[in-house]
This record gives sequence, structure tokens and C-alpha cells, in this order.
Amino acid sequence: MWDAFGFEFVNFYFIPGLVLGCIYALGAIGITLTFGILRFANFAHGEIMMSGAYLTWTVMAIAGAAGLTLHPLVAMVPAAALVIILFLGTDRFFYKPFRKADTIKVVMASFGMMLIIRSAVQAIWGPNQITFVPGIARPNATLQSITGDMGMMILMPNKHIWIFAGTLVLVVALGYLLGRTRIGKAMRAVSDSPDLAHVTGINVDMVIRATWIVGGICATAAGVFLVMDTQMLETTMGFRMLLPMFAAAILGGIGKPYGAVFGGLVIGLAEELSAYPWIGDAPLLSPGYKTGVAFAIMVIMLIVRPQGLFKGRSF
Amino acid sequence: MKTTLLATAATLMATTAMADVNIGNPMAMTGPIPDLNAPIAAAVDLAAANVNAQGGMFADGETLNIIRADSACDPTAAVDAVTKLINVNSVSAIVGPVCSGATIAQAESVSIPAGVVTLSVSASSPAISTMEDGTDLVFRAAASDAYQGVALAELAMANGMDSIAVSYANDDYNAAIAEVFVQAYEAMGGTVTANEAHEPNKASYRSEVATIGAGSDNLALFSYYGSGGITLMRNALETAAFTNFIGADGMLSDELIEQLGADNLMTSTFTTSASDDSTPSFGAWKAIADEAGVPAADPFVANGYDATFMMALAIEHAGSGDRETIAESLRAIASAPGEVILPGEWEKAKAILASGGDINYEGAAGNQDFDENGDVAGNFSKSVIVDGAWAAELIQ
Repeated sequence: MWDAFGFEFVNFYFIPGLVLGCIYALGAIGITLTFGILRFANFAHGEIMMSGAYLTWTVMAIAGAAGLTLHPLVAMVPAAALVIILFLGTDRFFYKPFRKADTIKVVMASFGMMLIIRSAVQAIWGPNQITFVPGIARPNATLQSITGDMGMMILMPNKHIWIFAGTLVLVVALGYLLGRTRIGKAMRAVSDSPDLAHVTGINVDMVIRATWIVGGICATAAGVFLVMDTQMLETTMGFRMLLPMFAAAILGGIGKPYGAVFGGLVIGLAEELSAYPWIGDAPLLSPGYKTGVAFAIMVIMLIVRPQGLFKGRSF
Repeated sequence: MKTTLLATAATLMATTAMADVNIGNPMAMTGPIPDLNAPIAAAVDLAAANVNAQGGMFADGETLNIIRADSACDPTAAVDAVTKLINVNSVSAIVGPVCSGATIAQAESVSIPAGVVTLSVSASSPAISTMEDGTDLVFRAAASDAYQGVALAELAMANGMDSIAVSYANDDYNAAIAEVFVQAYEAMGGTVTANEAHEPNKASYRSEVATIGAGSDNLALFSYYGSGGITLMRNALETAAFTNFIGADGMLSDELIEQLGADNLMTSTFTTSASDDSTPSFGAWKAIADEAGVPAADPFVANGYDATFMMALAIEHAGSGDRETIAESLRAIASAPGEVILPGEWEKAKAILASGGDINYEGAAGNQDFDENGDVAGNFSKSVIVDGAWAAELIQ
């Protein structure tokens, strides 16, 4: 029983919603960029997230065997490099041949990639769950006592603080890349109109590579944040996140990275807050059906405003 | 050319059918419970190895083949796997589906329409008892949760939990056992403070835990450890919403200890289907299992051996791998009258059957006498943490 804490709305609904939202947001950035620039729904994105988390775990395990304790956020760096190579490799051998063909072919190719990556991970690491960090994470004591003195006790384990900080850094860096750098501007141009961008001399292949690199970094981060939160690795965890991430990308507007961040936070919060007892004592919606909230938002959005909140592309 | 190929193919298939007996074995190799599944699969293989080592099938010593497929503890994957086993591998019968949802889906969509007998090793949902309409094709070697839910309610009462919150995963197995538990618990005078479903496979269950956590310190958790059970327990412990946990088979795994730490599980008790280790049948099974390095007392491992061995006996009794007569033979070999056959006694059983006698298989997991629904009775155990590992104790 937790009624001793008070303030349960923030601690048990709002903060978990934001944590989930951050993970959705980072995953949705990759999806929305691929959708905007390469013009196909990449079904393999969830599995790339998952493989990024497995690679991070492996880096930590290898470092651990050498007597070195690495924080997941440090181990993520070499893992992200490997994920980028994986992304570029799949693009070169599986997606590029279909670049000029119908979109449905490359979508099917990505669906195949999804199954290949998952099976490969199951073959290498096994179908069993792997413990990322054993034990349970108690709330950060300093934060608890400071906020407790102010009369609004916030219970937040360290892992959530890292997730918030990591997401913030990545989103700010992405904003700088897209807004201030040459390649970022080129990416936005290709996203708006690939033919026009090509005519004005933008190297489209370069932009595509940049897209995969940005998507790979964000996907690895999303996967690592997810396993930092759940503290375990499992081979279908990426696939389970895929559909809410699509919902986030569509809500924000296809091709709009900020839209994806916003959409991710909205979907994450909506899922968690739907179970809050807004009216009376019973949960507004039985928590067993909270997955449906993401899809309800997606369907309503597609009907009412298919271009998304941030005026993305509509199909 | 085409005719020749077809003829060759037909000959090949005919030869295979004559030389071997094939049993389809869809198991939850991947999915939420691979740890629980692995020793059960080993027990299935062990039973087939025993049969083949002691003279094989029928008078000419045909080989008993176990054709394994992955049902992933998932209804859709199970239907795919069993469709392949029945239509492509032309198996005589199905021994397998581990999870209730998978068993129900494959039976309804594939094996019952095809007239193939299914003998599940561990599906325990009460819904399976009554799922058939006029056919007699679905059997199981594990007891229904109609009994386990009651045993768990008695355990909760005995542990002094007079109020409890219930959270169950939204699937055939967990929803069914939760319903039985709630009915039995309320009938014994307990108060259920909250009873909510949770969606499997979510990254976070904090809002679920917060929603049901207001009324009680005790949580009855019905879930698979690998599809949300551990995460939900972790969230419940992190937020201090609950202190005491009870639950059933789906949660009983060493993964809990590895991921949550034994220190955090001192107030948890989980029940599971268990074998009475004082019977001669269990003694015979333990000797075989120990020699082969299979963990004899792990959940549903003895049931896996029993199911495979009984299916082999039934096919031997039927005299051929034809699908039609297996159900009848399965009932004949599993219950009295007849000479008692213990696990591993294939040679003895084969000799009695060859001379036209009756046999009564007494299984490692229980007597394995099928009732009219194809169900068996069973025992249950409760497991708590002792010295950092699960220690099981039979519930009397």
C-alpha cells in the first residue's frame, strides 16, 4: 500500500508516462525520418532497437569480464556504431535494390529484415530473457528528501533520471543537426521534395546515409533506455514498441522529427494516464486495454488530420 | 518426367510412413517461457529415446520420431506450427502445446477439424475441459486449474491474507485461473480489493500497480514471467505498492531470482503442478531422468514424459499410426483394468500388448487416468525462497 506517499498522480502515472514517452519519442524519430526521406515504413526499426540493446549488453559484459564496470550510456557508444553499420548494410543490400520499385516491395523487404534480425538475435543470444541489471531500483534518496521537504515528494529511481537526461541531450543535438548544419538542412530538403533537392545538387545518397546514421543512434538509445527501465532483454521487445512508435510518428506528422518527439510523449502519457481514476475510484480505463489508447489516437488522427499535428506528409 | 517424380515422391512418402511413427511436438521454444519449456522438451525426447531403445514401435521395431515445432506460447504461431505438422509432416498425433491459449487455438482451428488427437503436456486452463463438441480428441497430462485456483485460495487463507488484489494477464490461461481463484477465495470469506486485467508485454506496469495498490498489501499475480510478470513485480516492489505475492505456474522460474534477486522474493509464494514423489511411478521416473540429466521435479517435466510415453503406448495399442483409433487407445492404456506400467517400462508394456493383454499406465506426474473430458487429476506444490533458490513443498 502506498497511500503514505500522497502525490501519487505524479509519481505513479505522470513520471512513468514521460519515461515511456521518451522511449517512444526516440524510436519514432528514426521511423519518421526513414518515412520522410526514404518514403517507406521501416518495420525492422523495432528489431534494430532491440539489437542495439543486445549489443550494449554485450559490450558491458565484455568490459565486465575485463574488470571494468561500464554505465549503459557509455557502452551504448560502440553499440551504436555497430548498429549504424547494420543499418547501412541492410540499406545497401536489402533496400537499395528496391529504391526505384514500388514502395510495397521495400516495405516487404523491411518486414523480412525484421524477421531475419530477430531470428539472428535468438540464434546468437538465445530465446531466454537476459538480465540487464539485477535487483530492483529504489527511488533516488536525495531527490526524495529534497522534494519531500517541499511537500511534494517525487519518487524517481536513478535510471529514470538518466533516461530523461539522455533523451534531452539527443533531442537538442538533433535540433542542432537539422537546424544548423549543412547535412541537416539537406535532410529536410530531401524530406520535403526529393526531386527538387536532387535538381538543386544535393547528394541524395549522402542524405540517405545520414538518415540511417541518425536513425541508428536514436534507435540504439531507445533500445538501451527501454532495457534500463525494464532491466531485462528479450527478443520481441522491439517489436512490441513498434506500433506505438508508428502511432507517435503519425501523430506528430510524418517526416517531422520534433513532431515525433511530441507524438511519443503524448502517446506515452496517454497510455499511462488513461488508467488514472479521473472519475470516482475506479480506473478510467482498465489498464488491460491501455495499448488500445495509442491506436485510438492514431486512428482518430488519421481520420481528422492525416498530416499530423506538425503538418507532416499525408498519404 | 512429372509422373516419374510424383511416383517417386509417393513411394518415398509411403516408405517413410511404413518405417516410422511420427508424433508432432509443438513446444514453446521461444516466447515468454523458454526456461520452463526447455526441460519439458528434454523429457519428451527422453521418452521417445526410451521407446526406441527398448524395441521401438510395433513388431518390426519402427522408430518413434518426435517432430518438433515452435508454438511460441502464442495462438497464431501454434496454429501455423500444427498446420505444418499435420499437413506436411503427416504426423499421427500431437503431443505438445505447452500454453493453454496455444492449445485451444491449434485444437479448434487445426487438429480437431483434421481428426488428430492432441495430448497437451502442460495446458491447464479450465476452458479446455469443455471445449470439445461431440468429439474426443483433446487430452492433457496436466491437471486443470479448476483445482489449482482453489489450492491457491486455500494457501492465501492459510497465510493469513484476508484481503488481496488480483492482477491477471489477458490470456486464456491467466484469466481462467484468476477467475477460479477469485471465486474460491471469496467463498472462503476473503475480500478481493481489486481485480484488473493487465496487457502482456508492456514496458511499464506502474499505473496498473498504482491503480490496484490502494486497498491491500497482498497481490495475487497471474502472468507469464517472460511477458510482463517480472516487470509487474518489479514495478510493484519499486513503488512499494505490494509486499506479499502469490501466483501460479507461469511465474515460477529461476529468472525471477536472477532478475529481481532472492532477497526481494522472500514474501512470494507460487504454486505449480507437481508430482507426489513418494509413488513408485515417480521413483522409476526419477531414476530415468537422473541418468539422462533431466530435472525430474521441475514444473511439468514429468507430465511431458508421461504424455509422450502414453502416446507411444496408445499408438502401439492401436497397432498402426492411423489417426482414427488413437483416442480410444489412449483411454485404454491409461486407466484400469490392466497390468500397471511404470515410466520407462516399454518392453514390458509392448510384450503385454502383443499378447493381447491390457495395460494401465501409472504416470510420473500422477495416475494419468483420463476423465470424460480428457482431463487428469493432479497434485500441486508451493514454492518459496530457501537459501536463495526455489524450494517446493507438496500441498496436501
